[in-house]
Amino acid sequence: MNSALLYLQYHSVKNRTVMRIKRLKQPKYLVGAIVGGLYFYWYFFRTLFGTPTRGQPFALLASPESQALLESIGALILLIILLLAWIIPHQRAALTFTEAEVAFLFPAPISRRTLIHFKLLRSQTAILFTTLLLTLVTNRLGGHVWLRAAGFWLILSTVNLHLLGSSFALTMLLDRGISPWQRRLGILALAVVLTGGVIVWGRQTMPAFDLSRFTDLQAVQDYAQQVLTAGPVPYLLYPLRLVVRPFLASNALAFLSALGPAAALLLLHYVWVVRSNVAFEEASVQASQKLAEKLAAVRSGNWQAARKQPRSKRPPFRLRPSGPPAVALLWKNLIGAGQAFTLRIWISLAVFALCASLGVTQASGGSGLRPALGMIAAMLLAWSLLIGPQLLRQDFRQDLPLADLLKTYPLRGWQLALGEILAPVAILTCIQWLLLIVILGLFWQTNPAALGRPERLGLGFGAALIAPMLNLILLQIPNAAALAFPAWFQSAKGGGQGIEATGQRLIFMLGQVLVLLVVLLPAAALFAGVFFLARWLLATFVAIPLASIAAALVLAVEAALGVMLLGWLFDRFDVAAEQTS
Amino acid sequence: MIQVKALTKLYGEFVAVKELDFEVQPGEVMGLVGPNGAGKTTTLRCLAGIIPPTRGSVHICGHDLAQEPIAAKQQLAFFTDEPRLFDYLTVEQHLAFTARIYQVRNYEPLADQLLEELELAGKKNAVPGELSRGMKQKLAIACGLLHAPRVVCFDEPLTGLDPIGIRRMKDSILKRAREGTAIIISSHLLHLVEEICSHILILKEGRKIIHGTLSEITQKFSAQAGDTSLEEVFFRATGDAEKGNAVETPASEMKPAAGPRSPP
Repeated sequence: MNSALLYLQYHSVKNRTVMRIKRLKQPKYLVGAIVGGLYFYWYFFRTLFGTPTRGQPFALLASPESQALLESIGALILLIILLLAWIIPHQRAALTFTEAEVAFLFPAPISRRTLIHFKLLRSQTAILFTTLLLTLVTNRLGGHVWLRAAGFWLILSTVNLHLLGSSFALTMLLDRGISPWQRRLGILALAVVLTGGVIVWGRQTMPAFDLSRFTDLQAVQDYAQQVLTAGPVPYLLYPLRLVVRPFLASNALAFLSALGPAAALLLLHYVWVVRSNVAFEEASVQASQKLAEKLAAVRSGNWQAARKQPRSKRPPFRLRPSGPPAVALLWKNLIGAGQAFTLRIWISLAVFALCASLGVTQASGGSGLRPALGMIAAMLLAWSLLIGPQLLRQDFRQDLPLADLLKTYPLRGWQLALGEILAPVAILTCIQWLLLIVILGLFWQTNPAALGRPERLGLGFGAALIAPMLNLILLQIPNAAALAFPAWFQSAKGGGQGIEATGQRLIFMLGQVLVLLVVLLPAAALFAGVFFLARWLLATFVAIPLASIAAALVLAVEAALGVMLLGWLFDRFDVAAEQTS
Repeated sequence: MIQVKALTKLYGEFVAVKELDFEVQPGEVMGLVGPNGAGKTTTLRCLAGIIPPTRGSVHICGHDLAQEPIAAKQQLAFFTDEPRLFDYLTVEQHLAFTARIYQVRNYEPLADQLLEELELAGKKNAVPGELSRGMKQKLAIACGLLHAPRVVCFDEPLTGLDPIGIRRMKDSILKRAREGTAIIISSHLLHLVEEICSHILILKEGRKIIHGTLSEITQKFSAQAGDTSLEEVFFRATGDAEKGNAVETPASEMKPAAGPRSPP
């Protein structure tokens, strides 16, 4: 490959690393790096060097059967990824270069093949980093670190080459007049034929699908094992199993014997890619422009613009010109959240959740599937309190780049604050209510001796009442952080890479948990007081909602105080000072 | 209509605007000019309530912006050089949203009229990403004018507009002024300022250099040099200030600075 391109790649990586190190002079990055470093050390590196798991066999590979099962599962995942790569794209192949690379390299006397090599070399940086990360994450599973890392590298590199090769092949199909829809129909037809063949063949070897047999997780695993390791499926997945096999090798010898076929497949992919003579330059120029626009938007703090170009969306409800102005912000942010957030869709989802959970309850009978699903829903409900406010960002975090516009509105700070956080609160609450419906539906037929149905209904009602108040408080935390520490907030989201960014996210998460505990204390105390008093006088199923109402009132007062504080923070938010800093 | 007294804005140690006093009456169009970093945008942002002044006061239609921000902002519209729009709202939704924020009852006929005037009627369902730069500017203007503001501030209003758009924008500004709106325009385009402004305020390094009607200012400078354009006044005024002879008196009391003219 052109030595100038090697020089460019080497110095790009080197300078980026140096820049990262230099920015640690800023306290926000330094503190983030320390916290992130500690996190990585405790969770990954500590176990990598000198732990009892080192050198032990891969924990998941208890038997040759489980190896075959894992191989098939891995191959199945790869099949889905590769199938999507052939179905979804609708544009011409575009190797993403930066605008500077386009400006320097495209007019330069460099062959198309050299450009592909450069692109492959650059993708290796990301692949090696991902390999390192995945190796660290899976280190606790035991096995040989280097073998697993090499296995990961082989899988990622093969997938990367296949994605590139398929994009070239799709471009060639486009050039021959085959439209994306014709191609999709063809591939889907092929997939349907193959699946039909597998089903017909598999009926002779595979057990029939019967939900009532799944009494526990072992039963599910046994069924999956039978399906994936017997009949036609293993043959169908054979090439992809070859790619996965080195990763699952239990020792060096097994790895070496699996390496040959996997490396041959990798080499075949490489030859396919470099021999594809497809004009990617025009599409690449467009892609680089889009990339540059996104980067510019991110650097200016406009995350909204950095996303995919929005389209016009149906409003969730009709906005009248009179009434509380905060509702206008809720309306606006719900539109920003997407088409799905209309009342009709939520009601349909609630009915579906109820029917589905009751259906599963009826179908599964006494199997373990129902409580397992119920527990998963309960865990999701708990996680939604912590993760939800980080994921749903249709609030100040989205509108901060337009803070100057918001400040011209004739509204009090608290009105703006309330309006801004209402959309994520509403969405999160609806999700939690859906989960509550699912949980109640799944546990409806549980032994009534443990907890009667009226009590369960009371609990559900109480949780449904408390959820929006809790969300209102929890959403204030990341918003307050965004207003109080905008530089931290933006880097926490946008930096998005590196140990320091991970550390910053951890600090925010810790703050969120801490605030959650503090605000819950008075509400929990009142809940307990009212519950025991009401239970003494009334039935339990009445005591629970009464106590929940009391707790919700405390949370509402806390939320109101929080909204006032958030409004005060927005009033004090000096747009110009933030820009100049 | 607009009353500014001793307006000062500091960023740490840096003085962006210092002790600024001026008034704009109904129907007046005041041009705010000055070199880069003179404090024009900071002044406008203080007037629009976007950033709080460090010292001094701003009154909009008799309402103190610090004490009665809601009443003051209800009478105000501020247009930035880069249109500030929500990426995911359509043209129509922008107007519905603005109407609710400013509580404009029966806004639909007015919105339709504005869209017609600004040639956006066919783009009601388009999001900003589907609009050209000029159309975005027009949408921002439609939103700003929906609540019939009595005070309007423009920061570089002609940026990105085509010749027809420029002509329409100038006509629109003059029409609003004739209807009694107090207007402030910040611009580097001195010929625009000269064409449509009745009053001029020249700033440099956050300080007022000259303030007065266009004729007062040019008259003072033309005493020695015949007919003087605003451009020449600008260079002479700001050039004089560089020598440390800043004039903070009204134009009627001001003497033109002597010395060679700076090249344009």
